[in-house]
Amino acid sequence: MAFLEEIQEIKMRVVEALKNALPKGCVLASDEECRPYECDALSAYREKPLAVALPETVEQVKEVLRICKAHGTPVITRGSGTGLAGGTLPLQDGIILGLSKLNKILKVDPLQRIAVVQPGVRNIQVSEAVEPHGLYYAPDPSSQIACSIGGNVAENSGGVHCLKYGLTVHNVTSIRVLNMDGEEYVFDEKDDGVDLLALLNGSEGLLGVIVEIKLKLLPKPDAAQLVMAAFQSVTECADAVTAVLEQGIIPAGLEMMDKFSIQAAEDFAKVGYPTDAEALLLCEVDGSFDQVQVDAKRVADILTSKGAYEIKVSQSERERIALWQGRKNAFPAVGRYSPDYYCMDGTIPRSKLAYVLEEIKKMSERYGLRVANVFHAGDGNLHPLILYDANKPGELEQTEKFGGEILNLCVDVGGTITGEHGVGVEKLNSMCHQYHGHELEIFHGIKEVFDDTGLLNPGKAVPTLHRCAELGHMHVHNGQLPFGHLERF
Amino acid sequence: MEQRFKQMAEQIKDAAAENKTLQIVGGGSKVPLYDDAEVLSMEGYSGVLSYEPSELVITVRAGTTLEELHQVLAEKNQMVAFEPPEYGNSTIGGTYACALTGPAKPFRGKLRDYVLGTKLLDGQGRELNFGGKMIKNVAGYDVSRMLAGSKGSMALVTEMSLKVMPLVEEVTYRIEMPECDAIVLMNKMAGTSLPMSGGAYYQGHFYYRVMGEHPKQTNRVGVEAVDNSIWKILNPFKPKLEPGQKLWRLDVESTNPCIDGTIAVGMGGTRRWVASEHKPDHPYVTLWDDRFLPRHNDGKGVKKIKQGLKKVFDPHHVFKDL
Repeated sequence: MAFLEEIQEIKMRVVEALKNALPKGCVLASDEECRPYECDALSAYREKPLAVALPETVEQVKEVLRICKAHGTPVITRGSGTGLAGGTLPLQDGIILGLSKLNKILKVDPLQRIAVVQPGVRNIQVSEAVEPHGLYYAPDPSSQIACSIGGNVAENSGGVHCLKYGLTVHNVTSIRVLNMDGEEYVFDEKDDGVDLLALLNGSEGLLGVIVEIKLKLLPKPDAAQLVMAAFQSVTECADAVTAVLEQGIIPAGLEMMDKFSIQAAEDFAKVGYPTDAEALLLCEVDGSFDQVQVDAKRVADILTSKGAYEIKVSQSERERIALWQGRKNAFPAVGRYSPDYYCMDGTIPRSKLAYVLEEIKKMSERYGLRVANVFHAGDGNLHPLILYDANKPGELEQTEKFGGEILNLCVDVGGTITGEHGVGVEKLNSMCHQYHGHELEIFHGIKEVFDDTGLLNPGKAVPTLHRCAELGHMHVHNGQLPFGHLERF
Repeated sequence: MEQRFKQMAEQIKDAAAENKTLQIVGGGSKVPLYDDAEVLSMEGYSGVLSYEPSELVITVRAGTTLEELHQVLAEKNQMVAFEPPEYGNSTIGGTYACALTGPAKPFRGKLRDYVLGTKLLDGQGRELNFGGKMIKNVAGYDVSRMLAGSKGSMALVTEMSLKVMPLVEEVTYRIEMPECDAIVLMNKMAGTSLPMSGGAYYQGHFYYRVMGEHPKQTNRVGVEAVDNSIWKILNPFKPKLEPGQKLWRLDVESTNPCIDGTIAVGMGGTRRWVASEHKPDHPYVTLWDDRFLPRHNDGKGVKKIKQGLKKVFDPHHVFKDL
């Protein structure tokens, strides 16, 4: 009880200070007002925040940070709340710093091909705003109509085009960041020495609050063509992708679906996917008119020679978009088969795909939970969707265990636990499998350099050494247990 | 090589215990040797550890020469797309330490964009692995990319995995015109769908490079096709200077107007080379006298962060600050 009373008292003081500092309506404190902020897109994890602050200016953000530092209140920075790993899960004694009102595109320079934006600007807004200049912003996470640029930088978001056009880190040239004292830093690509701009990308809100971002814009390609190919086995399909890349073609998009996903997507979107296929490949080439014509034909030829039994090449922009519809709706399509689904985000070498899918199938039988797989075949990012029912007691826990097993498998075949969704709270245990004690110690060291208060998004992204020790994941080198001074349970 | 790795770890541990400073040296093509530091040589610590052309990833030891790297990749029709400059016996480790990128930077990205993972020894001689061999990987802070440009002052990077790209056919065109007009034109062209991979200005000509299939250029007035040698002249750029002049490397916005004393414009306008006696008045200037010294122009806050990070990786201050 004492703890709750203490929280209540701090809450009153913090809320009062915030209300004094921010305009009317910018501080939410009642249960009802805070409810929408209890979770992000990983809705299985929920917590009520102490309050929600929605500043309208950078100066107000600084004020919020100073208040929180003075009261020792954790700050969880949030954009649109579309994160899939619980990176903005609230803390009972922490505030949500929502940056959705910092939503202005401050500058577009078409000649220089850059846009300067505030963190709350939605990803799609940038491309829409620069479209008249024949430009666009390349990273396109599937949540791009809702997700914010600030969140994209925090997670180093990807998208279906990142094999060719890169992740967020490749498309950001400068950021303005605040620390817990409200002090400002600029990390720019022109800086000398250690690359702090790269470090901040994907730092999940633990190192600073990003308040301004300069983005690189690209000219829109003249043309794009989609080649759809059906295969009788996953191995054949993966080998065909290998052949395309070996021939020196870097497709703009390269998506693969397994049988379950194909059927679900076809059921949902009715786009003419061959439902008898074991694997379906969508390969998009883009660029100048001349290059696209050459590449689309080469891709179709390679895929045919590698065993594709049905090939369709889009003949119009309408057809190209229609063929994408199935894949783009794959998640909700699969979701219709089950009350809930859990999306995983491991990355594996393509050569291990058939093996990994076979192992997942075995796990699926063992756990009695169905799985659909979609795969960014170009960059090895595998998204197994585990179907479950949260209302059945214990099924979520089983699903999480299943998911954890998949991620460990990804690491064991030479991959990683997260390609684009981030660690958040969801993959803390899996981090213990991927990294060892010394590396985690370095991560904690980096955090402390940027935030010695430990108040910025505490408990996310990097597991404590305790946690890993408890899980039994501590890496023992030459028989010496690292961190011998730590208590272990 | 395993033995060699252990020796390097021992050398670091010994230095830490004896309060000695180590200077990491690769091919010795860039940074000069300092008397106050013991050499930790990476020479011969070379070789390709794994190479999967279809996964677009190569893993090499840091002492691997650029020459060897280019050769291995070319056999599979691939390349390192950031075009590292060759200073003679340059290694990939040294190139990474100095974060050096070539003319395609605004079009294909810079060195750190292609770094996927590293294995390193920190200032306590501990083996650490960051990132991996995956093009997409957001688990943990991106230490591998962060250390690109750290000039061996934080840790000894012993191995790295790099994303590689297919070799592309490139052709170069040039137009005679004034520098200021060329800067505007190279920006305008980079905003079109022409697949450019280079834009520069040198000795009265605007040069641009195009990759793959593209519309015919030489039917435009004043455009002539030339060979690709210009990109080697500018990367690495080693001009003959008048007595008393120094070479300054400026990193600017691509549309920055002409700067006095400029003798070459590279990287689509983002790189300006100025020959002058005095330091040009500009925020991102480096004296480029073949010593690859840092600018030391960080603000107070950033300086503190960098010092803090140094302590995290190298608490006993074993590695020489460069």
